[in-house]
Amino acid sequence: MKVSLFITCISDALFPPIGEAMTQLLARYGVRLDFPKVQTCCGQPAFNSGYWDEARASAKTILEAFDDSDFVIAPSGSCTGMIHHYYPKLFENDAVLLEKSNRLKEKTYEFTQFLVQVLGVTDVGAYFPHKVTYHPSCHGTRLLGIKDEPMELMSHVEGMEYVPLPYAEDCCGFGGTFAVKMSEISGAMVSEKSQHVLETEAEVLVGLDMGCLLNIGGNLKFRDQPVRVMHLAELLYEGVRNREQTAGV
Amino acid sequence: MTKSDPEFLARLTRESLEAEKRFIGNIASRLGRSVTGPAPVHPYRGAPDFWTAFELGIEDKIERFMENWRAAGGYPERIASMSELPEAIYRIAKEQHARSTIRQNLPELERLELASVLPELSHHAWNGGDPEDSLDICEQSDIGIVLADHAVAYTGTIVVTSSADKGRSVSLLPNVLVAVIPAERMLTRLGEAMKEIASVPAERFPAGAHFISGPSRSSDIENDLTIGVHGPGAAYALIVG
Amino acid sequence: MSKPQGFNVKERAKSALQDEFLIDAVKFTTERLKNGKKAATAEHGNWEEWRERGRQIRAHTVAHLDYYLSRFIENARAQGVHVHFASEGKDAARIAMDIAKHRGAKSVVKSKSMVSEEVHINEAFEKIGIESIESDLGEYIIQLANEPPSHIIIPAIHKNRRQIAELLSKEAGETLPPETKVLAGFARRKLRDKFLEADIGLTGCNFGIAETGTVVIFENEGNARMVSTVPKIQITLMGMERLIPSWDDLEVMATLLPRSATGQRMTMYMSGITGPRREEDGDGPEEMHIIIVDNGRSLQLGDPDFQELLNCIRCGACLNACPVYRHIGGHSYPGTYSGPIGAVLTPALNKNAEEWHDIANASSLCGACYEACPVKIPLHDMLVYLRNRKVERGVTAPGEKMAMKGFKMLMGNHAWFEHAVKAGQLGQKLLVRDGVIKSRIGPLGGWTAYRHIPALPGKSFREQWTKLSSEAEKSFKPMADEMKSRMEKIVQERTKGGHRA
Repeated sequence: MKVSLFITCISDALFPPIGEAMTQLLARYGVRLDFPKVQTCCGQPAFNSGYWDEARASAKTILEAFDDSDFVIAPSGSCTGMIHHYYPKLFENDAVLLEKSNRLKEKTYEFTQFLVQVLGVTDVGAYFPHKVTYHPSCHGTRLLGIKDEPMELMSHVEGMEYVPLPYAEDCCGFGGTFAVKMSEISGAMVSEKSQHVLETEAEVLVGLDMGCLLNIGGNLKFRDQPVRVMHLAELLYEGVRNREQTAGV
Repeated sequence: MTKSDPEFLARLTRESLEAEKRFIGNIASRLGRSVTGPAPVHPYRGAPDFWTAFELGIEDKIERFMENWRAAGGYPERIASMSELPEAIYRIAKEQHARSTIRQNLPELERLELASVLPELSHHAWNGGDPEDSLDICEQSDIGIVLADHAVAYTGTIVVTSSADKGRSVSLLPNVLVAVIPAERMLTRLGEAMKEIASVPAERFPAGAHFISGPSRSSDIENDLTIGVHGPGAAYALIVG
Repeated sequence: MSKPQGFNVKERAKSALQDEFLIDAVKFTTERLKNGKKAATAEHGNWEEWRERGRQIRAHTVAHLDYYLSRFIENARAQGVHVHFASEGKDAARIAMDIAKHRGAKSVVKSKSMVSEEVHINEAFEKIGIESIESDLGEYIIQLANEPPSHIIIPAIHKNRRQIAELLSKEAGETLPPETKVLAGFARRKLRDKFLEADIGLTGCNFGIAETGTVVIFENEGNARMVSTVPKIQITLMGMERLIPSWDDLEVMATLLPRSATGQRMTMYMSGITGPRREEDGDGPEEMHIIIVDNGRSLQLGDPDFQELLNCIRCGACLNACPVYRHIGGHSYPGTYSGPIGAVLTPALNKNAEEWHDIANASSLCGACYEACPVKIPLHDMLVYLRNRKVERGVTAPGEKMAMKGFKMLMGNHAWFEHAVKAGQLGQKLLVRDGVIKSRIGPLGGWTAYRHIPALPGKSFREQWTKLSSEAEKSFKPMADEMKSRMEKIVQERTKGGHRA
């Protein structure tokens, strides 16, 4: 069984601890992750801006990287959504690549989906004694229907105080190139989102998509706010290490 | 303003028939057809199946209707029989400081004999044969009385159709609407009322089929709700029986 | 706030974002309507099934529009309606002028119609000296203010009570207090006279029912009823796609539309108008005209990416769900329609991509519009398709084109990607202070105006992979049998092949 890691360009370049957390957590369940380095980026930035030739060039590396994988896991709802919903569109005129896209779609999971739906794991045995709020990224929730999985995983984290984020379903304003092209509008949206995060008085903001967290986290830092911003994989891994350390493992 | 010249209308009709060919032809060709085919199979007609099975008992229907009418800002009442209507109308007139009524020209409403039973108010009946006068009288009247063709419990709606005896203006121009609903005409779902209307043959199809669910309202000014903008501001639904 | 200038959403939005009253008003209104919809749909239940039925009915009708439109026209004519066809907006205005001029009409009173705004009918009437008065309270207010609507359902949300009192006081010739009841009362009296005097009543059309040739109008005020009952002539403007096959289907639309638009179980009035008055009727128009408007709608037919756009029932739910709309309001969008539907419709109705400007960029593609749409139009996908069409027609900024060529090169081959990341790690040393980049120079200025960028770590994930995977090996535990068979079962059940070993 070949279980491969689709690290995503943002996490690859900016947030290596996320990939580390996934690798470590899955090892404990007997999953040895494979990392095909042919992968670059799912192609969203170009696709969403309408540059589909350019998007295809990038997407092809993903099709190639995971052609012989049984499972592909990505720490991102939007990158997983890109594969599920837009690769068939992107490659609709190429029979060979369309076939690869349809196969890839079937075997690609966002990280929490993989843990809960494939492995059947909802309690990783984490101990994380902090006040945490959660931002449900748009593509993950609306395109992939990821609603229960992260909640289930968080509900089993011991010591964690979960506080719901007001207006959680509102977009944070990232939208990829939207944040740069329509910067004033995006700025207003992220400011509002940050404001809601601060209202919860949480120590930690957790999420499933680094695009969103880069956006919100960047705004919180801009406002000199010390809220810690983490991917759920990082939170769970840190929680597992906390537990293992106290148990003397 | 004179009536339209028949020649003018004939010209418009000729132009219209020509234009129709091009218009429809354009649509058909874009949809990949050279000619418009016969009636397509219409598998998704109307409400989902689970909904068409939904049915309430008569007392539940009436209660639901009254709840909805009230929630919309209307005044629902239960009246035992038609003979008690004049008393209700008198009471309403007092509440609304009304001095005149106009009713649809229907035998059920004529039998109320309002002119003799409530002489303090002035009463008129809609007369399709005299449009100018009828409109004027309607505009001057305080209360418009209609007999609902149908009523729908789930949405709190009455249905009034137009005819020579049932001017649309009766339920529209006066500031107070009194809708009389025989209990047996109470339906559960909108779809039931739609079916009734659709079953009327083309030659007898009403020009106006009006679904009324309460008093006129608007929130256009700073989202502040105001009742009685253009249509009746006081809407009474009297369920009889 | 005066009428915003320019075609660019970005520029128009800049001024909107500074207007505190506008932003508060838009937020308040959209939240109220959004919550109303949530409550109304939850109370009704099975919303997803109703949405799917709504989509099916509308998609089916559009896919057979030639048939259903022909039936509608036939049945309407049989009841005495004069039917006209306007391929372009200006044709609709011309036909309406023709009718008005022939009858020597001096005044028109109209009820709400987005199509009438699209074809600029008021301006056309005014040009030939015919008074055309809006009777819907919100539309009346913005007509007096000489401004376009800022929301499809509640057009004057950008105006506060005092501004409205000022406008109406001018009309009244006396000072009216900024109290809703008084202001609405004035409008009622003033417009009542207009209804009774007007030569022509102009209406829109929510749905045309093909099986009987009926025009269906939803409203809460009663002005559309007035406009279609009192004046001797009625002209109805109808978008050519606004049809449903039967009265049975009207139940579905009557279930979806009021709940999606305002959270109501039903609007106060829903009128089915079938032809002018009958011979023996005492009221209703003596003569009725329906002008069927194309104006770019037929361009969507046969286009698999955009045909579903014609499903739209103009409920405004997408406006209330859209975070972008909520921040910038309706005036930031050029054209008649605003919000997500406007962002797609305005370009889609216009063949000329050069005139689209940046309207399709006014979205973060969050998908809230699709989630809210009662007939399931994938507006978020259509925005990407529009962006793609602009690129294919070569109508994009040269700077962006170059940046994307760079993207293609770097992302097309993992070696290039790795070089780029390395270059970034080294090059950023000039910009990084305390682990973050705050610099506003260059194309990232839009980002750093609101956010700090974290520094790239010294080594990327893939540079650390060998080390990380061998570290993880220390915590490796063999997989439980149950889990193994679970995964194997999933692989077996795949239909597309998964890994073709």
